[in-house]
Amino acid sequence: METARLSPLEPLARAYVKAVAAQPADGGLFGPKSMVWRVNRDRSFPLAGMRSLMVQALHPLAMAGVAQHSAWRQDPFGRLAATSSYVLTTTYGDTASALAAAAWVRKVHTRVRGTDPQTGLPYSAEDPALLLWVHAGMVDSIVEVVRRYGRPIEPADLDRYVAEMVTFAEIIGVPREEVPATADSLRAYVESVELRQATPAAKEAIAIVLDPPDLDAETRDLWHDLAQVAVGTLPDWAREMYGYPAPPAELMEREPVRQLLGALDLAFESLPGVLEARQRIELRTRA
Amino acid sequence: MSASTSALRQSRVSRGAALARLALRIGGRYVARSPRLLFASVERRGELRHDLALRSADEVAEELGAMKGVLMKLGQMASYIYEDMPATFRASMSRLQHRAPPMTGALAASVIVEELGGTPAEVFAEWDPLPFAAASIGQVHRAITRDGRAVAVKVQYPGIARSITSDLRNVGLLRRIVGAAFPGLDTRSLVDELGDRLQEEVDYVREAESQELFAGYYDGHPYIRVPHVIPELSTERVLTSELVSGATFDELLTWDQREKDLAAETIHRFVFRSLYRLHAFNGDPHPGNYLFHRGGRVSFLDFGLTKLFTDDDLAPLVDAVRFLVFEKDYEAFRAALERAGFLKPGAPVPTETVVDRFGQFYGTVLQDAPMTITPSYASAIVRRFFDARGPLAPYSDVPRAYVVMQRINLGLYAVLGSLHATANWRRIAEEIWPFRNGPPSTPIGEAEAEWLRTNPQKVLRIN
Repeated sequence: METARLSPLEPLARAYVKAVAAQPADGGLFGPKSMVWRVNRDRSFPLAGMRSLMVQALHPLAMAGVAQHSAWRQDPFGRLAATSSYVLTTTYGDTASALAAAAWVRKVHTRVRGTDPQTGLPYSAEDPALLLWVHAGMVDSIVEVVRRYGRPIEPADLDRYVAEMVTFAEIIGVPREEVPATADSLRAYVESVELRQATPAAKEAIAIVLDPPDLDAETRDLWHDLAQVAVGTLPDWAREMYGYPAPPAELMEREPVRQLLGALDLAFESLPGVLEARQRIELRTRA
Repeated sequence: MSASTSALRQSRVSRGAALARLALRIGGRYVARSPRLLFASVERRGELRHDLALRSADEVAEELGAMKGVLMKLGQMASYIYEDMPATFRASMSRLQHRAPPMTGALAASVIVEELGGTPAEVFAEWDPLPFAAASIGQVHRAITRDGRAVAVKVQYPGIARSITSDLRNVGLLRRIVGAAFPGLDTRSLVDELGDRLQEEVDYVREAESQELFAGYYDGHPYIRVPHVIPELSTERVLTSELVSGATFDELLTWDQREKDLAAETIHRFVFRSLYRLHAFNGDPHPGNYLFHRGGRVSFLDFGLTKLFTDDDLAPLVDAVRFLVFEKDYEAFRAALERAGFLKPGAPVPTETVVDRFGQFYGTVLQDAPMTITPSYASAIVRRFFDARGPLAPYSDVPRAYVVMQRINLGLYAVLGSLHATANWRRIAEEIWPFRNGPPSTPIGEAEAEWLRTNPQKVLRIN
């Protein structure tokens, strides 16, 4: 746990601390009693994040947008921190901060357009269909991972979560009525999208997610375990598109996965300000 | 309002005056005569975050399960080992050590109901629902028993025993994490050490037996006090003992050097006497487990990790001291270490190296002269213990029987080092080594000798 060994977590920690303001003006888009507040700080989130990226990358046009317009290859952890910061700000920030963050992303999206070399199709990051895909990839992953490895939660509460998260899609530009509002309909939507495939760009990107450069040996071991578990949470069709084998069943057992997540979470919590930010959230949910 | 809560309130209102009377009354003794005054005088620790208290077993699992409790214990061990650890590392460790919030009064009460068969209000005459101290896997409440004794009730977090057992079974993950955190150290022995310690800590029945062994032996001792267990109010997850008040280790650090030296002497005597005369060793010499009183008197708390020794366990250790310190017969010293299992027989290492490396552990008793134990001295000893790279590493080992005792090196020296304690440790040890039976060498030694004259059975108690 020397400083250098925690370096991949540091941008994430800074984003976390910054997103959870000490003096928010109001309860934000969802409020301290919401399911969104509860689920979006589940300790299994790193796993949900990995799975989200793997699902989202399977839409060739969404992937092309990232591949052609983002500098994520130079700084994968910085990119991850930016996404994580967006989710945290829209969840725990006050309404003004949440809407400002969404407005900024929409502005960036106006410049993200082009043609996917694989399918030859044009794309735009303002396209509600693409935005819905990205939203669904994330929310479906959170539901799946929290159900398996998170704090025990009732299925009805997960549906409530999915319904509350409709607002998440709305502020980024998807008409509310187009967003599935239950866990099952969300999964059905994902599996109904025709244009699903693992393009070379997707395979290359996900290979880096699963084996990021510049990790020291011990951290890399732990990361690989986590990545394998993330692969194991994918639907078979998604895993097969990437050509990954199903991980052994014992690797997927709840207890050891939670131990891995707990160790990672403790390392994260030991970084300056993280524990205090979490306590601020906890106190607001109790107020 | 029940009778007990109104009595509680009354005692708080009159606390100021009560404490003034108390100061006059205690005199040279440890304990307030009145349980109620003692109840009021044991202070609540400010650092407990009651506003974040854990409300359910689920929340306990979230905060302390899934490796977190286990790794926090590791952090505590790390703070013994690395005197010169990087400031950032030290900062993260101290953040983590204080991160576990207490249980709510209701959750703690639910454990009391399950373990003692009634609510705290039914089981005790008075019960303070706010814990006054954190324990590593629980918290401590003060209470007054139905027969009027002031007690400290240690309540274990619900579900923690099961989750710690399961976490310790995941040895592969633990070793990788420890390897990442402590490059160059022997991760296998660190993880084994940690496993032993935690397994024993979750068993309060075992702890109660150990504590009572020490409490009985030290009854009437002029400088050493161990609170007795209240067996009828103790179970696997609840441990009730006499309530003791006193200054914390941090407070002792603000006292003058003479007080620190006296306290260190008493701690040193306690460890040596317990090992050589009681044949028992309390393996958790953590600063939080002592309470200090002026003039060198110390109360010892927390016996979660006690090891009992047989004559056969002790014989090679006694031989090693004899040959190294008195007879200066280094081949015989080496043979004693081999007999004990610390060193493989026939290791291709010169005896000179053996004496140099293992002699380190006897540094405080080699010379008949006053010696100051410094923090850097303490951490050098401890680091050597876990050193996986030294010339003896391939041939040395810590046999199971002595693992707990090696914690002298982890904890005791760390404590004495942070006190910068000075004494003629050799003379004190000579009083206690059974093969020397030396004369009292200090005023505390004189008082102890007087105690032994009136309690001759304590000169050597065999378990």
